[in-house]
Amino acid sequence: MSGIVCAIRGGPDSQATIARAIGLAKDTKLPLYFLYVVNLDFLSRTSSSRVHTISREMGQMGEFILLTAQAKAASEDIPAQGIIRHGDVGEEIVDLCHEIQADYLVLGRPQVQEEESIFTHDLLQEFIERTEEQTNAKVVLPDGGGE
Amino acid sequence: MSKSIRKWSLFAFLLGASLVLALAGQGTRAQDQPMSPVVSGTVQDSQSQPVEGATAQLRLAPEGKVLAEATTQANGRYALPAPTEIPDRLFVQISRAHFEDQVVELSATDMRELRNGESVAMPGTTLPRRITAAFWIATSIFVAMLVLIATGTLHNTLAALLGASLVFFVSYLGEPLSENLFIFGFDRALHYVDWNVIFLIMGMMIVIAVVERTGIFQWLAYMAYRLSGGRLWLLLPILMTVTGVASALLDNVTTMLLMTPITIQISLALGINPLALLMPEVMASNVVGISTLIGTPTNILIGSFANISFNDFLVNLTPGVLLAMVGLILYNEFVYRKEILAPGNEEISPLLLEKLEERAQITQPGHLLKAGVVGAGMIALFVFGEQIHLLPAVTALMGATALLVWIRPDIEEMIEAVDWTTLVFFITLFVVVGGIQEVGLISFIATGIGDLVGENLILAMFVVTWFSAVLSTVIANIPFTAAMLPVIGYLTATIPGAGNKVLFYCLSVGSAMGGNGSLIGASANMVTAGIAERAGHPITYAYFIKKGFPALILTVSLAMVWLLIRFLVLAG
Repeated sequence: MSGIVCAIRGGPDSQATIARAIGLAKDTKLPLYFLYVVNLDFLSRTSSSRVHTISREMGQMGEFILLTAQAKAASEDIPAQGIIRHGDVGEEIVDLCHEIQADYLVLGRPQVQEEESIFTHDLLQEFIERTEEQTNAKVVLPDGGGE
Repeated sequence: MSKSIRKWSLFAFLLGASLVLALAGQGTRAQDQPMSPVVSGTVQDSQSQPVEGATAQLRLAPEGKVLAEATTQANGRYALPAPTEIPDRLFVQISRAHFEDQVVELSATDMRELRNGESVAMPGTTLPRRITAAFWIATSIFVAMLVLIATGTLHNTLAALLGASLVFFVSYLGEPLSENLFIFGFDRALHYVDWNVIFLIMGMMIVIAVVERTGIFQWLAYMAYRLSGGRLWLLLPILMTVTGVASALLDNVTTMLLMTPITIQISLALGINPLALLMPEVMASNVVGISTLIGTPTNILIGSFANISFNDFLVNLTPGVLLAMVGLILYNEFVYRKEILAPGNEEISPLLLEKLEERAQITQPGHLLKAGVVGAGMIALFVFGEQIHLLPAVTALMGATALLVWIRPDIEEMIEAVDWTTLVFFITLFVVVGGIQEVGLISFIATGIGDLVGENLILAMFVVTWFSAVLSTVIANIPFTAAMLPVIGYLTATIPGAGNKVLFYCLSVGSAMGGNGSLIGASANMVTAGIAERAGHPITYAYFIKKGFPALILTVSLAMVWLLIRFLVLAG
């Protein structure tokens, strides 16, 4: 297996990332996988007993976000799969890259990020280096940011 | 333990708890027959509130032999049996931690009555407060807990648990070193835990857990979309109304946890900015939630403390909430006018709409029907139960039990659905707040506010409402409300015309609607922002204040207008 993994979370900032991934798929003819990771860390500051229900709802929301990306790819004649994972964003991205032996990983960089995550400026470079080392996938960032 | 044993254990527990609470609700405990002759009296603090747990001693001299000893009851009363042989002089000494000791000598008339075998009623004794090291420690623990919660350094429950543990740690390990380090003991701490609140929240959690799995929220949101035909100016008030009504019957956090993902999906299908719907929804949730007793934890606290019923909230607060809601809808139509007036997305994906419709299904119609029947019964009991002194907690527990017996869900899932961390939060919060009550901080705050507002009820209404609203934007409103209850109780007892409990409604309005002032003002805001951020539409602190703070001013002002009309004009 081989392919391109594009991790997204939706929103206007993701459009550049999605476009970059579609462009890369066109150029390389590799299969494209859009990934959305359901992460419930935000519940740690509030009620946490709704994990089962909210996880399902977030999963459905993620599918919806992936559908928008897939629709955009389809409009450019690029077939793409949508994959939903639950858990830590960084770990799930690496796991999927391993599973499909990805050649490329397309990542974005949120323009607004108040909480620290792997996509914040300080940690992103470290994550890129670690992922390339662990998975052999080349990490691609869209021009001008995106997510 | 097998599943069936666990299941029936939970049913038995809920049933038992219902019975215990029902019996407690009767409140017709037989009074102890007074012994004769006795020396009796009452003890109160400087706010004229009865002091419970004070030691009253009958002595031969101020430092002399103790002839009899008793502890004051919840109403501050004590009764000391007189000795069989009456000496020349007798003294009553009252002592209690965190108060100055008081010694009162029995008058010549009292002594004569005792010698004639008659009981003596002493004049009320007022105990002045004494500030000790325990005062500063309990206050520091409370403030630290608020800071830890506000900054998100620790989970709410962990912060309150840490606070309660520190109170006990200082009390038990510090007392041997100095009695001034003693805050209160475990038994005394339990007096401050309001079990009516705990069981009401627990019962409602079980009901909500059943309802949230039926798909009703998703269906309602989709119906809102269908009804509006995708026109944002119409969709916005419909979704606000759906969210508001749901928040009045369920809790705000659950409502927003379920409404936010489906709202984002509708927004994606329509090609609009989800924040134009999410912000109005969460603001409506914070505003309309207070229209019923069970809509917010703060109302549950207020209702239990001040004995304000489900009907009282409906009659005295709901019209004000509706007024605020109308203002909030118009405000949001104005604030999001650009999104509303923007030309519709002409490329609405049929695939997305199809998916939306597919998901907007009632997944458990049978459960929804049963939950509807039980829910209607619960509402009826909330409304009419007051006539038979039925506590709301009993209604909630009976409703939860009925639903579980009728539906027979997976009991493991139901146990998981009860938010035990929240229940522990409330129990430990009561302990920490009890600590500051015990050492006198609440009394000092009450006296300070009392001095500020004097006997002016209108000024008191403004101060309580706006003080609560502004503070709720920066500190968690549940611990704030819990701490303010005795303060409001004092103001209600001392300000002429406040006996109708209007200041408690002011506290309800301020603490809940104040949540709209900032992102950290309410838990519902935080979960909405958390989900929106994970859909690529972050709600920043600045964005929330920009949209939310004007809404706070508008809605609190409108609710305030209603309270003034209701309690000053209509009440004559």
